[in-house]
Amino acid sequence: MSTGDDRNLDYESGTASVVDMHDSVRREKILQPSGAESLGLFPLVLCGLVLIAGGGFLFKNANGFSDSTYINSDYRPDPKPVTDDGDGEAEEVAWIDSWMKEGKKVYGNCAACHQPTGTGAPGMFPPLTGSEWVDGGTARLGAILVHGINGPMTVAGQSYNQLMPAWGTLSDKKIAQVITYVRREFGSLPEGDDGVVTTEMVAAARDMFKSQSGPFTEAQLKAIPEDKQLPGAKVDLQTGDPL
Amino acid sequence: MTVQATDEDIRERASIDRSMRFPVLFFFTSAAAWLFVATILGFFSALKLRVPGLWEECQFLGYGRVFPMHMIALVYGWALQAGIGVMLWLMARLTRRELKYGMGVVVIGHVWNALVAVAVICIWSGFGRSIPLLDFPGWMAPLFAMVYMAMVVWVIPMFKTRREASIYISEYYLVGAALWFPWVFITAGILISKEAAPTMAAGAGSWFVSNLIYFWMAPIALAVAYYIVPKIADRPIYSYGWAKMGFWILALFAGWTGFQRYYGGPYPAWIPAVSGAAVVFVLLAVVATISNLAMTLRGKTKLWEISPSLRFTAMGMFFFAVYACLSAVSIIPMVQPALQFSFFLSGLDVLAIYGFFSMTVFGAMYFIVPRITGCEWPSAASIRNHFWYSTYGIITLIVCLLIAGLAQGGNLSRPNIPFSTSFMNSTCWVVGACIAWLLIAVSNLWFFYQLALMFVGKGRKSEGPTLIHGGHDNAEGAAGTA
Repeated sequence: MSTGDDRNLDYESGTASVVDMHDSVRREKILQPSGAESLGLFPLVLCGLVLIAGGGFLFKNANGFSDSTYINSDYRPDPKPVTDDGDGEAEEVAWIDSWMKEGKKVYGNCAACHQPTGTGAPGMFPPLTGSEWVDGGTARLGAILVHGINGPMTVAGQSYNQLMPAWGTLSDKKIAQVITYVRREFGSLPEGDDGVVTTEMVAAARDMFKSQSGPFTEAQLKAIPEDKQLPGAKVDLQTGDPL
Repeated sequence: MTVQATDEDIRERASIDRSMRFPVLFFFTSAAAWLFVATILGFFSALKLRVPGLWEECQFLGYGRVFPMHMIALVYGWALQAGIGVMLWLMARLTRRELKYGMGVVVIGHVWNALVAVAVICIWSGFGRSIPLLDFPGWMAPLFAMVYMAMVVWVIPMFKTRREASIYISEYYLVGAALWFPWVFITAGILISKEAAPTMAAGAGSWFVSNLIYFWMAPIALAVAYYIVPKIADRPIYSYGWAKMGFWILALFAGWTGFQRYYGGPYPAWIPAVSGAAVVFVLLAVVATISNLAMTLRGKTKLWEISPSLRFTAMGMFFFAVYACLSAVSIIPMVQPALQFSFFLSGLDVLAIYGFFSMTVFGAMYFIVPRITGCEWPSAASIRNHFWYSTYGIITLIVCLLIAGLAQGGNLSRPNIPFSTSFMNSTCWVVGACIAWLLIAVSNLWFFYQLALMFVGKGRKSEGPTLIHGGHDNAEGAAGTA
């Protein structure tokens, strides 16, 4: 239906008859009183799931509403170190740094007695810092790690009487890493000794002491020359390649 | 079952619409103008992310200024004004009260527009603060609060003197939105003042954004949906009980949200945990609303094809569900560390403001404007274009920002990757965001042009509404669908 501008005027006047009013006003439906139907089971089940999820989230993460807990134990920003993401911009991590980092992880086995700081417990567990057994050659350390020690022993002027279990069940690599860590972290090394022990050297230690059965005693260890090093090639600290 | 409107009803409607004509049209047109400004700025800020060196001599065109300008124009220029226009009209119709002293609202509306303009200019010339959605200088915050209250105070007398004793569900939402916003705005303003601890300010900023969405945009959009869907479908709301439950769920839980964005941050761990749980509980309101509306519309889904109001509203409700679900997914402890502080969260904000709130409000505008101007939308093709460009724009934007967020957030968690690399690695997706903003800008051009024609009274003068498909003289249209 074609109409002119007058339609609009009717609308504005307010006194026009209903029939002349603009169509949008007339055609509109009336808003009916709200219903009270049941929505059925599905939305209820959905609401139940939402409640369980929300409640579970709250009680898992609220830490008992403690005001002093700041970080949830399960909050872990991606911990994987990435050495190279392919664009060549990321910095290379030196071989020795990752070797030491792994060694520190293995040292977790030792820290219960020797303490995380390597100081030991006076009278109970011998220290690693200032210990002549650590500062000396690697052969004695290799022997201790592979077979353990039993009986009285003097370390840094104090005597101890304990059993250190054998760690020969660990892989050569892990033993090499933990000896490297202990020597570089806690030892005071002689000039020219970088403290590094390689997998190859630990294999040599196993070979060297394969006739030993049971833990070493102090006397047996003393039979190994103090400055004897495990045989094996020295490595480049940056790349880990044999020199 | 069709209940025919009596002559009395029709006269009443016409006089209410007449009293609303200038205030509502004023808010709608100035909101649409700000929306257009905001989309252009959105395009430029996305472009600056991709090409940071563009016009680097001009400080005032830097990303640090263009992006806040874009957000302020979008929220305070477009969203708040459009929302208030819808709020006034819906409240008048539901309470059957005319707007008294309507020119007073128009005067206050001008003050609001001036304030938004001053805020944008302040940010432009470097006086902004870097607090999301509160970027304007601190001294403007009390002014915004006062002028806002002066604008919404008009709906309170209408509600108090409503003609019917029973309260329609949309009225709950409208009164809620009117009263919650000043509380949210003023609380955030106080907590972010200069004296506050920086961690508190950051948390309060995030709380503000979350509550602007859940306590202001969501109630208005839901009020619209609960009005438009029964009107178009010519059916009562399926379940009043569920509708009210949705409202109280929102009222109960929405205010707790916000801090989940700082999960693992320097707050006692229970604060983000409570916020995260609240985000999940808000899903109850989504379930209640969406299933209720779906049942109201059951068997009449082909109305989607012809009614612009219903189509925009339904798409808005769809984005509401998507927004609420993505917000809940983003707090899962497994994915949260990868999404924090990334494009993902700004993508969520845009999804709420444009995808959810704006689409629903467009639906309301397509319904309201013909009634207050007395003419029909000029072109069905333009409405179609507006709808599809907006929908594709918003979907492109969301997908791009979400993927960019995943790429960026994943890289941020890897300590060996420099910050700038993690940022640059994700900017390829920002190209998509540029295109999306361009699509949205184009769609709004159509909308703005049509609205301008309606404003000056150059709309179609024929009988029958403008429908998306089926032509103007469609029999269904004459039966009352618009």
